[in-house]
Amino acid sequence: MAEMASQTQRSVPLGAILTAGRYGAKGPDGPGVTLRLRHPLSIVTVMARKGRAEALAAALRDGFGLALPGPGQSTAAQDLALRWAGPEQWLAIAEGGRDGDLHQRLTAALADTASLVDQSQGRVAIVIAGPRARAVLAKGTAVDLHPSRFRPGQVAMTQMAHVGIHLAQSAPDVFELLVFRSFAESLFEFLIAMAAEYGYEVVSRE
Amino acid sequence: MTSRRLAQGGLIDRSRPIRFTFDHKSFAGLAGDTLASALLANGRMLMARSFKYHRPRGVVTAGASEPNALMEIGERGRRDANSRATMVELYDGLFAVSQNRWPSLAFDLGAVNGLAASIFVAGFYYKTFMWPKSFWEKVYEPLIRRAAGLGRASHEPDPDAYEKAYAHCDVLVIGSGPAGLMAALAAGRAGARVIFADEGSRLGGSLLAEREEIAGDSGFAFVAATLAELEALPNVTLMPRTTVFGWFDGNVFGALERVNKHVAVPPAHEPVERYWRIIAKQAVMATGAEERPLVFGGNDKPGVMQASAIRAYVNRYAVTPGARAVVFTNNSSGYRTARDVLAAGIDVAAIIDARDGGTETHAAGVPLIADAVVTRVVGRERITGVNVLKGGATTADRIEADFVAMSGGWNPVIHLSCHKGDKPVWDAERACFLPPSSTPGLIPVGAAAGALTLSQCLKDGSAAGARAAGLAGFKATSIAVPETRDDEPYSIRPLWHVRQSTAKAFVDFQNDVTLEDIPLAAREGFNSIELVKRFTTSGMGTDQGKLSNINASGILAEATGRTVPEIGTTTFRPFYTPVSFGALTGAFRATHYQPVRKTPLHEWCEEMGAVFMEAGLWLRSAWFPKPGEDWRAAATREVMAVRQSVGICDVSTLGKIDLQGSDATALLNRLYCNGFSTLQPGKARYGLMLREDGFLFDDGTVSHLASGHYFITTTTANAGRVMSHIEFCHQALWPELGVQYVSVTDQWAQIAVAGPNARRVLERVIAEDLADAAFPYLGAQAVTVAGGIPARLFRISFSGELAYELSVPADHGNHVARLLMSEGSGFGIVPYGVEALSIMRIEKGHVAGGELNGTTTPEDLGLGRMVSRNKDFIGRMMGEREALKAGNRDVLVGVKPVEPDHQLRAGAHLLTRGAVASLDNDQGYVTSVAWSPMLRQWIGLALLKRGRERHGEIVQVYDDLRNSRMLVEVTHPCFYDRENLKLHG
Amino acid sequence: MLIDCPYCGERLSEEFTILGDATKQRPAGSGASDIDAWYDYVFIRDNPKGRHREYWQHTGGCRAWLVVERDTLTHQVYAVTPARDASA
Repeated sequence: MAEMASQTQRSVPLGAILTAGRYGAKGPDGPGVTLRLRHPLSIVTVMARKGRAEALAAALRDGFGLALPGPGQSTAAQDLALRWAGPEQWLAIAEGGRDGDLHQRLTAALADTASLVDQSQGRVAIVIAGPRARAVLAKGTAVDLHPSRFRPGQVAMTQMAHVGIHLAQSAPDVFELLVFRSFAESLFEFLIAMAAEYGYEVVSRE
Repeated sequence: MTSRRLAQGGLIDRSRPIRFTFDHKSFAGLAGDTLASALLANGRMLMARSFKYHRPRGVVTAGASEPNALMEIGERGRRDANSRATMVELYDGLFAVSQNRWPSLAFDLGAVNGLAASIFVAGFYYKTFMWPKSFWEKVYEPLIRRAAGLGRASHEPDPDAYEKAYAHCDVLVIGSGPAGLMAALAAGRAGARVIFADEGSRLGGSLLAEREEIAGDSGFAFVAATLAELEALPNVTLMPRTTVFGWFDGNVFGALERVNKHVAVPPAHEPVERYWRIIAKQAVMATGAEERPLVFGGNDKPGVMQASAIRAYVNRYAVTPGARAVVFTNNSSGYRTARDVLAAGIDVAAIIDARDGGTETHAAGVPLIADAVVTRVVGRERITGVNVLKGGATTADRIEADFVAMSGGWNPVIHLSCHKGDKPVWDAERACFLPPSSTPGLIPVGAAAGALTLSQCLKDGSAAGARAAGLAGFKATSIAVPETRDDEPYSIRPLWHVRQSTAKAFVDFQNDVTLEDIPLAAREGFNSIELVKRFTTSGMGTDQGKLSNINASGILAEATGRTVPEIGTTTFRPFYTPVSFGALTGAFRATHYQPVRKTPLHEWCEEMGAVFMEAGLWLRSAWFPKPGEDWRAAATREVMAVRQSVGICDVSTLGKIDLQGSDATALLNRLYCNGFSTLQPGKARYGLMLREDGFLFDDGTVSHLASGHYFITTTTANAGRVMSHIEFCHQALWPELGVQYVSVTDQWAQIAVAGPNARRVLERVIAEDLADAAFPYLGAQAVTVAGGIPARLFRISFSGELAYELSVPADHGNHVARLLMSEGSGFGIVPYGVEALSIMRIEKGHVAGGELNGTTTPEDLGLGRMVSRNKDFIGRMMGEREALKAGNRDVLVGVKPVEPDHQLRAGAHLLTRGAVASLDNDQGYVTSVAWSPMLRQWIGLALLKRGRERHGEIVQVYDDLRNSRMLVEVTHPCFYDRENLKLHG
Repeated sequence: MLIDCPYCGERLSEEFTILGDATKQRPAGSGASDIDAWYDYVFIRDNPKGRHREYWQHTGGCRAWLVVERDTLTHQVYAVTPARDASA
């Protein structure tokens, strides 16, 4: 038998290109944006079973104290967030990414109201924050991100530089892009190219 | 040369001299100059040679419509051809070169064309260079192109960065003259999100070019004060140097921002141009009006300019084109120019008014010659005077002057409002076309809407800004309109051309279209304005006929006895002014041309020395060469290792879909032509999807993980299409089904482990029992890898060997692949790539993209037995069509060259032995080929007419594209281990 | 062109993929007498100038299939309905 598996041997997405430091234009006001990777992360697709959306909402409320967010919305409670991800579909997101943990937790509570699919390692979460974050994102997506139109807590499924993304504003000026893992490097390279004129800082994972 | 800079005035910064070169000579200008104004200030009137006749030309305008003063700006990869000197902001080190002249601008040999002008009329080329036909491409066209040309495109890569961006607003105000300023202010004060864009280097539009008095102060001061207020409003974004070039569906506007065209080299990290798409709830089109030239003898000589352009040079740039002006007009504009020129201390010899007499006040001391026309401009490279013919007179009088202001009236700049296909409306009183009567989402205002006085523009702009903000959902009222001096009312009598002209009169300066060309076109039968455009090329230059189109319509109207509104205009289309290819491409070039997808095993593949190939957006490992190996040697070695022992391959690119729900099985039965009702949990099955027309769409595997929970794979190429297809079938066709599905392509690293020793290697990393009895062919189950990694194992084979596909969560992929390599080292395990994979599937006669090519049915590929007869599924009905069952279709066979070393090529056609190559005799074609390491020769799969009856027959391979012919033997498509002994091994 | 996705709001048409005619119903029957209905469903398409119903998918967004009623000449969009509701 081979050696015991270890979570420490997992590859980190963007590992090859993500190096902490300050890049691009160096203005007096500091970098226009900061970029970081959220990893590891637990992500589970939650799909309401036919005719069971209300039961799912109730189970989430009772089990996690979470409301089921409507289109373009998200909810969060303690260590779990829910983001709308299409008709009758949501992404459940939690910090930490031990294989299958969140999936098992949700299965225990929701299995008869929802189909649950672990996506933790199929999506990469890139956080872009700072005063010029909107200007950078506007170079890739046609979604109106003006503070009056896209507020913290809102989410949007859209494209960024021809790559499908799930976009969320987690706090004022803090945007999180969930992207299919295979596109992550390409998307990250696009983002830093577009951020260079404002100056950007790549922050290592916490 | 004489300096033509006026001693005072203007918006130039006299404390900041700027050095630039033109035709390799050094000049000085001032900050705030354009290249055109700086050249004029240096006494350089000659700026270009014309397109066809190589006539000397000077600048005609002070703005975007410039047809003549086109230059190459910048050096090497930064060289921009056909740049309008009127729009090029002066900067230190600017490098400009004139175009279309040889050997020099002042002495151009091409000017002999002008001597022969009588034969170079419109249509000359079409008629003269028709014969012999083959000469056109090789001889005539290159010669003509060399003689008649514009600037040279650079052959070097552009070193600068371009990008695209989106913007959103409640009100987009296009144009920053008096109407635009008031509109932006009204909308901005109402709280609307305003984008205020103008093509100019600074905002203010015509107010920067005119001597105005607004609210008791100068027009310049009014602009400054208004901009200061707009700048302070957080909801207003000012976008100078931004040309809104198109109006598209959904009130989306295209705009080009020249971010760094006013510097020699953009600052580090900044783009040179940005291509905007602006999504506006409402737009205000305050694009102003363009002054029409008059068409009279010698009107193209350097020094004949738009009257309004002369005002711009005098008032904004403090430059005069000469020492003594003569004004030729048919409307109020000429009078205004006379006043401004006089105010700058320059002589005005006379105002020549084509009307019987205007009501305008003209400056004291300037003779007014009413009911008169200029028949000819006199002088060669420098004007010395004009010939003036009074109404009723037979001989012309000479008036001495060294520059000519001309005004034929105003054309509102209505281009954007017509981009959606609506026709402009003729206004007889003002002799111009106005915007279409209804332009929802776009409010034309100011001169663009025919308001040709300052007070009207300010008033209408205020109202339009308030209206736009109101329509966008804001409470808005018109804002107070500042006081202005009494405006001169606009009056005009159209003069489309001076028929008494005694020299060549030009309609289209850029394309050298003369007054005679248009009636000629009409006589030749090209009597609609669209045909005249194409026959004469009027309006087809880089300026798109901004100055010439309406005059051409007027002249055609007169020549054919119709009215201008009957003639109409040519079609207005984006782009309003030229947009660089760089901007259209944006950042999406070179490595960013399209996104690149990498598999979770990419890092491991690199470690193994993979050569990557593009498969759609994916990078896939094609083969893993050892030192000295070419692709074929590497792939051959990889195949041999797999067939003899074991290899692993990255198959993560396969599309993967998780399907669950109470009706999951029912959905599968409808999606695939074969059935899934009998597929037990823990088992996998090969599946075929058809299109609704009965042809094959995709193939893959369906694994039943747990009751009602399936894992589907698709081909790499069709992954996206299959997902959309499933979504369509569920959402549009059968929404009543209880199914949930989502793509999990990126969640799993998928590793094929193939070869007689595959099980032995896997047993070293997986605890579960993998013995044939416990985990037989087409088994599918959850396993644990390396004592802790949750994984899925599928016993499926593409290679024909004992084979598995192992799925592990993506982060674990590299680690597990390394582990398999080390655990398999005792078996001589190798990594193998797509090339070896492909060779092995061809040896086994398995179909892939070459055979699933949209023209084949399951029957054609020998998979007919899979098609269920007792259920509904996509493609069932059309798959039953007679012609698909007729028995004479091209069906899958193997082909083997009779001479084993002959190389087969995919795409080659098949003919019966001895048949002549013709469409009628075509018997099919080769779909996939490989050099088979097992057979030691080239083999191929082919689609051959009635091929199943023809095994053993020798047919011809015909490939005239690659000049290859050979004989091949038709065989069963499976070349290797037809009994599938190894699969179950 | 902007399409007002019932889930995501107004988005540029480049986020969507068009399939085409949404006026046809997939025939329920599969007998010999149904063959004409099948030919019509699979192969026969009107190409109207003016108002038309088309299937579009919000592929660059929520992935919902939509029935978009629009003018093929002016590109004015009159109505957008989720396909799951429209086909019922």
